[in-house]
This record gives sequence, structure tokens and C-alpha cells, in this order.
Amino acid sequence: MVNVTGGLASVAFAVAVGLAAACSAQEKPGSLNFGIFTFTSGAAAAYGMPGKNAADLMIDRINAKGGIAGVPLKATYVDEAQGAQGVIAEYRRLAADPNNQVMIAALSSANCLALAPIAEQLQIPTVGWNCDTHQLLADGKGKYVFRPNGNTVPEFVAYAIYLLQRNPGAKSVAIINPDYAFGHDGAVIFKAALKALKPDIQIVAELYPKLGSPNYQTEISRLTTTRPDVVFSNLWGADLENFVRQAEPRGLFRSSQVILALGETVLQRVDLPDGVIVGVLGDGWWMSPDARANPAAADFSRAYKDRFGEYPVFPSLKMANSLIYIQAAYEAAMRRNGGKWPSRPELADAMKGSRVATLTGTTVTRADNDGVVDQIVGVTARSSGQPGVTISDMVRYRGDELMPKAGTDPIAWISTLTPEFASSLPKPGSYK
Amino acid sequence: MSSAFIPLLLDSLASAALIFFAAVGLTLVFSVLKVLNVAHGSLYSIGGYLAASLSLFVASRGLNPYFSFVALLLSAALVAAVLGPLLEATLIRWVCGKSEAVQILATFGLFLILEDLQRIIFGVQSYYEDTPMRLMGTTTLGGVVYLNYQLVLIGVALAVIFGLRFLIRHTRLGRLMAAVVADREMAQSIGINTDRIFLLAFSLGVFLAALGGALSTPTSGIAPGLGADTMVLAFAVAAIGGLGQIEGAALASLIVGVARVTAVYVAPEFDAVAPYAAMLVVLLVRPYGLLGTMKIRKV
Amino acid sequence: MRFQTAAASLLGLAVLPILMPWLEFVLTLAIAKGFAALGVAVLLRAGLISIGHAMFFAASAYGVAFLSRAGVADFALAMLASVLLAASLGVIVGTFLVRYRAIFFAMLNLAVSMVFYALCSKLYGLTGGTDGMAVPIPTVFGVSLPDPAFKSLLYYFSLILMVVVGFALHHYLNSPLGQALSAVHSNEIRLEYLGVPVWAVLLIAYAASAGLAGMGGAIAGFAVGRVVPDFAFWTASGHLILIAVLGGIGGVPGAFIGAVFLELLHSAAVSVTDAWNLIVGAALILVIVFLPSGFYGLMKQEKAPSL
Repeated sequence: MVNVTGGLASVAFAVAVGLAAACSAQEKPGSLNFGIFTFTSGAAAAYGMPGKNAADLMIDRINAKGGIAGVPLKATYVDEAQGAQGVIAEYRRLAADPNNQVMIAALSSANCLALAPIAEQLQIPTVGWNCDTHQLLADGKGKYVFRPNGNTVPEFVAYAIYLLQRNPGAKSVAIINPDYAFGHDGAVIFKAALKALKPDIQIVAELYPKLGSPNYQTEISRLTTTRPDVVFSNLWGADLENFVRQAEPRGLFRSSQVILALGETVLQRVDLPDGVIVGVLGDGWWMSPDARANPAAADFSRAYKDRFGEYPVFPSLKMANSLIYIQAAYEAAMRRNGGKWPSRPELADAMKGSRVATLTGTTVTRADNDGVVDQIVGVTARSSGQPGVTISDMVRYRGDELMPKAGTDPIAWISTLTPEFASSLPKPGSYK
Repeated sequence: MSSAFIPLLLDSLASAALIFFAAVGLTLVFSVLKVLNVAHGSLYSIGGYLAASLSLFVASRGLNPYFSFVALLLSAALVAAVLGPLLEATLIRWVCGKSEAVQILATFGLFLILEDLQRIIFGVQSYYEDTPMRLMGTTTLGGVVYLNYQLVLIGVALAVIFGLRFLIRHTRLGRLMAAVVADREMAQSIGINTDRIFLLAFSLGVFLAALGGALSTPTSGIAPGLGADTMVLAFAVAAIGGLGQIEGAALASLIVGVARVTAVYVAPEFDAVAPYAAMLVVLLVRPYGLLGTMKIRKV
Repeated sequence: MRFQTAAASLLGLAVLPILMPWLEFVLTLAIAKGFAALGVAVLLRAGLISIGHAMFFAASAYGVAFLSRAGVADFALAMLASVLLAASLGVIVGTFLVRYRAIFFAMLNLAVSMVFYALCSKLYGLTGGTDGMAVPIPTVFGVSLPDPAFKSLLYYFSLILMVVVGFALHHYLNSPLGQALSAVHSNEIRLEYLGVPVWAVLLIAYAASAGLAGMGGAIAGFAVGRVVPDFAFWTASGHLILIAVLGGIGGVPGAFIGAVFLELLHSAAVSVTDAWNLIVGAALILVIVFLPSGFYGLMKQEKAPSL
């Protein structure tokens, strides 16, 4: 035991000395290192892997053009499936290495909420690539946690508005969401928006199966027995694939208007029937008119398809846009400080209030570090020109119109929405 | 509520059938070997992974889709033929007769090993293969569309119950097993090869676990973590029914199925609590389970 | 010689996080799990195996979270209250459970802990469901510390607590109450003929073991900053037994040796291989077969108690 401890201690000492040597600030490092947190295993990997793939591709593309100011990017991936404890330990380990300048974390809202206070304490600029929960930046005091991809409030208000524009006669709604913050938040926002926009609508069932459930047969029966006009779900990853594959043969898509908030992620994998309301929780659809008009986006999608055999899904674009966001922040910070390599606080300053052109639109970072992006919603359809299922009858709502002002309680804000407000917004089919 | 009675009943039965397959092997192995195999859930998920892989292979080769039914049975038989003797002859035989603490720990070690092996062999992505379910079509009952596959599975579970009863009561192997269960040393002294009985009983348990996993694939996804979830559910069912009681496991599956499905229908926030609450209530009243008869203190 | 080994190990533990700051978190968690594993080890001495002790670990961490939600922000108070909470929960559960032996004891512990796990993960409004609850940084005797200072304080506090509790438990195990535990394992009936109230002996042990698990849980809650239902899942209970057996149940240091060894090995292995569970599972089986008194048994000269 004495020997083991002694041996460990001397190794530790050597490592500590090495770290101290690497720590001299403000010189251009050999590489720009950062951690990327996503799910690479388990049921959530169906959503997390497209994110990782996009990061791999985007990093190669940035490095091929000389990196950021000549410094190549180098990512360390952390699997979020190991749970909050492991994710926190890994975050701390990465943060202790001064070569790691910035983090992209995380996919799961639960992990984002767990990491945010640590990011503030350790003062590491942290970009939440998929941290949609509106609770994340609710206090508006954070200096180091940013979310360029928008939050749950505009995302689910958009579905309520689109539903009522398309099916004004809908009377009853059943909800099946995963049993954690994202599922519950999504339901609260969607219900609040419906209540404000069409007060007589009824919620006939609310089910929250455990995240990662492989089997939804009982839930599908339960949903069917309530005979709802509308079934809303923000299930995602393998959960969503399982749900669709189990619900489709049992007629749920025929008996109800189904809304799959994250439906775009499974369009290439399961055969969704026509007429399902789907969207991309933001503007990140690779086939949107804006994306097709942007050569960089078209190029990215083609390269993605060549490398991974599938076209990018919206998590891929959220990740790619996050990397563009970081690149833009570095460039802005270096413009401000006269071309020196920026420190962590300088990088965070550059993110605040920034306006960045992404592959699929623009993200504006507000004073509370929340990003404002547009919301695209549409319905599934088969068109003659395209193989497989695509999205038609689209609308693109402006992000700032669906978002409460910084510092206001989002649910209270939603309750002030009116049917007149909804009818002032663009109509389904207007975005083409 | 009354309009939902038929769906509630059918869902409970369908759910009970799946749960029964997860638990019956565990309880069978316990009744003969007196070993609680904590790695049982892993054998279930290995069966599921293998069945999904074989079915996907059938589909990718463009073979007759009805071969996917063969794939389900074949994968269970394969798992039992390979892992049954392998595990029994090594670890399980060693823990036989040791204290419960040793049994639980050693098989927990086995569980950890098998979970990682699955990850290495089958990867971390979710598997889904539903050809058998699609081939069988649907039936509308009580206003709800059911998969014929779900309904047939209820029948298969009943067939397994009666098959096991027949095996135990009316075959030579069953009588030998009963003799070993009743008195191991006596059985040995009158010339019964207990090692062989143990090996066969354990492999049968593995087969039932893997069959459960295989039969679940057409209506449910297979992903990492399934083994751990199945294990604790199988524990609950085996404990409620009485460890070592086949009929007890059937009754307990029904109780757990009804509890879970009723929760989903009436109070969905308690769906995950229902099986364990049922287990707790039954065990506090009858620690040896509904049909169990065992002494509870060491004399 | 034994004193020197212990002192050197403690010194090593005290110095290691200064040299490698990120190890502080890893070692704090190791000691937290060591407390819980020690609780499991106490029951193992009586031959009782609990596949549910992670419940007490989690209950205490939830206790800390609820206390801070209710406005109790003092570290010492939160520690004390949550350990008492876990111990009281232990008394309640133990009152029903210590009647049972062997597989039934194991199963009932599993059932109780899974009910707890399922409730924590499903009662979203109360416990935050699977997202868990935040455990904010407490004040220490009225002083609010910045995060790094509190985390260091927490670590050295745990280290001292480990020594203090270790000595106390050592005395308990060597007292007639503690010796009776081993006697339950070897021959319970004889113990009853001698007039020893087995039920009371076991209830005290059960409450103590729950309190120890609670101590670990509170420390882990503060260290992680969040408590999630997974703290109470049955595999977490399995890991606690694993730590106890790997380290050896023969003496108090065993559980901590097992925990520190496992956590350090995990930190080292995680960057090399992802087959961590495979390694641990195989190690567990090897230890049970070839080294039934654990690592601690290796270091001890006389024969140490084993499974």
C-alpha cells in the first residue's frame, strides 16, 4: 500500500508539473481542445450519434481550412449515458486541463442543468448544443453558459400555433412525453399555449413513460381508448422510433392527428405516414429553402451523406451550428483583443450579444445568453421528386415573436397569447 | 372506465405474458439448483439481441420472411446450447451449495461481465426488428387495434406453463428433477446423476430466458440496460409467486401485469412503482411468496 | 507496521488531490461509497446480504436536497439531519426486515429500495423525477464558501470523518454487540439459547448500516451537487456489496480500501478501455473464489472474517 501510494503520488506530481508548464496563457496553443458531451450509447444514441457525426465532419472541414486562426480543433467526446455523476467527473477532469478552452455540453437537459453551475464556478465557456430546457438560463445571471439553438418555449408554442392553424376544429388532445424535464416542460408549454389560444380544448390523457422504454403497447392502447383528435409527443431517439413502429400498425396515426415534435429525426429510418405534424425544434432542417440556398449547408449535407450514409437530421445541424458559433466567437474575440489568442473570459464575452450566421439561419444571443432562432414546422408528405418522406406545408415562425423577453416568466407570458396573435403569424404553406 | 375494460384486460394479459417469460426461467433454476441467478436478465437480453440480429439477417438476405419466426426460436436454442452448459459447468456449479451472499455476488459479477460483452458484441444502438409482428396482422377488440402477435403470445405463455407442468409431472426427467429438489443427497445416493440434472435444468432456464427476450423483439426495442431492468422485474415476479414455483410465477406475472396496466390507465405516475409495491406487500405478508413454502430462518 | 501503513495511506489520500486537483472529486466519491460499503459490510458479517442499501445512500442525499429547498443551508446541520434520517429510515425498514434471513432478506431489501427508486423517478413534481434535485453548496458555520473551497473542505472533512467513524465502528464490531453479529452468521439458535436478543442485535446493526450509507449519500450529494434516482437503483446496491467484498469485510479499512482502489482504477481505466464492468465483474468473481476475505484479508496477518 505504501509503495502503491508513493508511486501514484510521484506520477501525480509529474503530471501536475507538466500541466503547470502548459499553462502559460495567451499564446496560440498547438491545438484548440474541447470536450463534446453527447449520447454515444443506449437508447438516446439514436439522437446523440448524428450530433457526434456532425461534430466529426464539421471539425474536419474547419481544420481543412486551417482551423481557427491557424489552430486545429481537437475534440474529446464524453458519453452522457454514464449518468450525471460520471458526466460531472469527466467535465471536471477536462476543465482541469488548461488546453481545453471551451465545452460543448450537453445533449440531455438533465446533464445541462447539472453542468451549468459547474461551468459558472470553473468559468469555462460552455455551449449547450441541445440544452433546450427553459429552466437552464431562467435566472439570467450566467456568464459562461450559452445556448445558441433556442429553448423549449418557442419550440412548443410553435406546435400549438401550427396545430390550430391547420386543425382549427381540434377538441381533445392526448400527450405522451418522456418522463423527465424535457417531456414535462414540453407538456406544460404546449398545454399553456393551447389553453391561451383555444380555451375549450380538452387534455384527455397525459402519459410519461420512462426515458428509454422499449415497449409502448399498453400506452398505445390507453391513448386509443381516449379517442383524442390530437396526439402530441416529444419522444425522441430510439424511444421515438419504437413508439412510431409500434403505434403505426395499431392505427394510431389513422385515428388521430399526431404531432411528433422531433419527428424529423426518424424520417429516414421509419416509414412515417403522411400528414404527421413534425418539425425540427428550431430552423435546422437540411432541406429547408434557406439551407438549400446556402452553398455551405448544401455542401455539408452532401459530405454528411457521403460519410455516414444518411442525410443529416436536425441534431446534426444543431451540433454543426454550435461549432460555427464557437468559431465565430473565437474570431470576434481575436478581433477585439488585437489578434491574441483569447482567454476563457474573453471567449465568453465574445459570445454574449453575438449574431452568428449558421448553416440554416441566424442565431442571436440575448443578454441572458439565450439564443433566438426561427422555428420551422410542417407535415410529412411524399412528393414525386424526392425519395422517401419529406416535409411539406411548411411555416417558418420568427424566433423573437415566439419568445418571452429575457427575465419574464415564460408560462405567464404564454398565457397572454391570443388567437389574434396566432392569426397574425405566417400560415402553413407560406415557407417554400 | 367501463368502456376501457376489455382493453385493460387484454393489455394486462399481453403484459403478463411478456413478464412471465422473463421470470419463469429464474424460478425454475432456483427450484432445482437453489441458486438465485442475478445474471438471468442478461440471458434474456442476449436472447433478444441474437433474435433481432438473426431476423435482420433474414431480412437483409431477402429470405422468406417467415424464416424470422424460425430465427426467434433458433436464437433462444443457440443461447441455451452455448451459455447453458458453459455457465453451469463453471461458475454456477461452483456457487451451488455456497451461502446466498456468495451466490448473489458471484452471479452479480457474471451479470457485469455479460452486460459489457453484449455492448462489445452488439454495439450500443437500439435494435428493432418487427417482421413477425407485421406478418401476423391486427385485430380490433374493444375499440382498440391489437397486434395478433400480442394475442398469440398470451397463448404461447399458457403453452409454456402447461408444457413445464407436463415435463415436471409426467416425464422421466421431471421426476428425476423432483427427486433432486426433494432431497439432493438421497437422490445422489440412489444413483441419480445430479450434475446432469443440474446442467439440464439450468440450460432449460437459460432457454426460457432467451426465449422471453427473443419473443419480445417483434413488439419492443432492444437496447443496453434491458438486462438490468428485466432482472429486477423477474426478481419481483419470482418473489411474489414464491421462489421455485412455476405456477406461482404465472400468477405473479398476472398480478404484476394487471397492476402495471391499471396504473397506466388510471394513475400513470405510478406505473413503474406498481410491480415493486405489489412485491413489497406480498412479501411482507408472505415472505416466501404466494405459493412458496419454505422455512425462513436458518436452524 | 500496520499503524505505519495506515498513516502512510492517509497521508497519501490527503496529498493526492493537491497534486492532481481533479482527483479530489473522485476521492470524495470513493470515501462516500466507502461509508456505504462499510454499512453493507456490517450486515454481511451477520451473513445478511442487502441488495437495497443504495436506498439509504439516496434517501440521505435527497434529504440534503429537501433540507436546502426548505431553507436549511448549514452544512453541519444538513449532514447530521440526513444521517439521522437515513438511520431512522433504517430503524423503520429494519423493524420489518431483520426477521428474515438469507434470500428473503436480500429480496425484501431489493423490493423496498425499488419502490423508493420508482417513486423518486416518477414523482416529477416532488423529486424532479429522473432529472433529480440540485444540492446547492451549503454554508459552513454561517460562512458561504466558493465552490472549490467547499469541495476541498468536504474532502478533508470526509477524510477525518472516515478516521473517526472508522475507530467508532471498530469498537462497535469488537464489542459484544458486534461480536454477536458473527455469531448470528455461524449459529443463531445457540445465540438465542444464550439469551441474546437476536432481533435487537440485528436492528441496531441495520440502523447503523443505514446511517453509514446515509453518511456516504450526504457526502456524495454535496460532492456531485445533484441527486438522481439512479443513486438508488439495484445495480448501485450491487456495487456497494461489490466494494465491500473486494475490500474485505474483515475490518473497517476494507470498505474504504475497496472504494478508493475501485474509483482510482476506474479513473485510470476509463481513458484506456470502456469494458470497465467486464473487468470489475471478473475481478469480483476472482476475489470471491480465491480471496474470500478481500484485499484487507491479504494485509492482515491473522485469519480475517469472510463471506
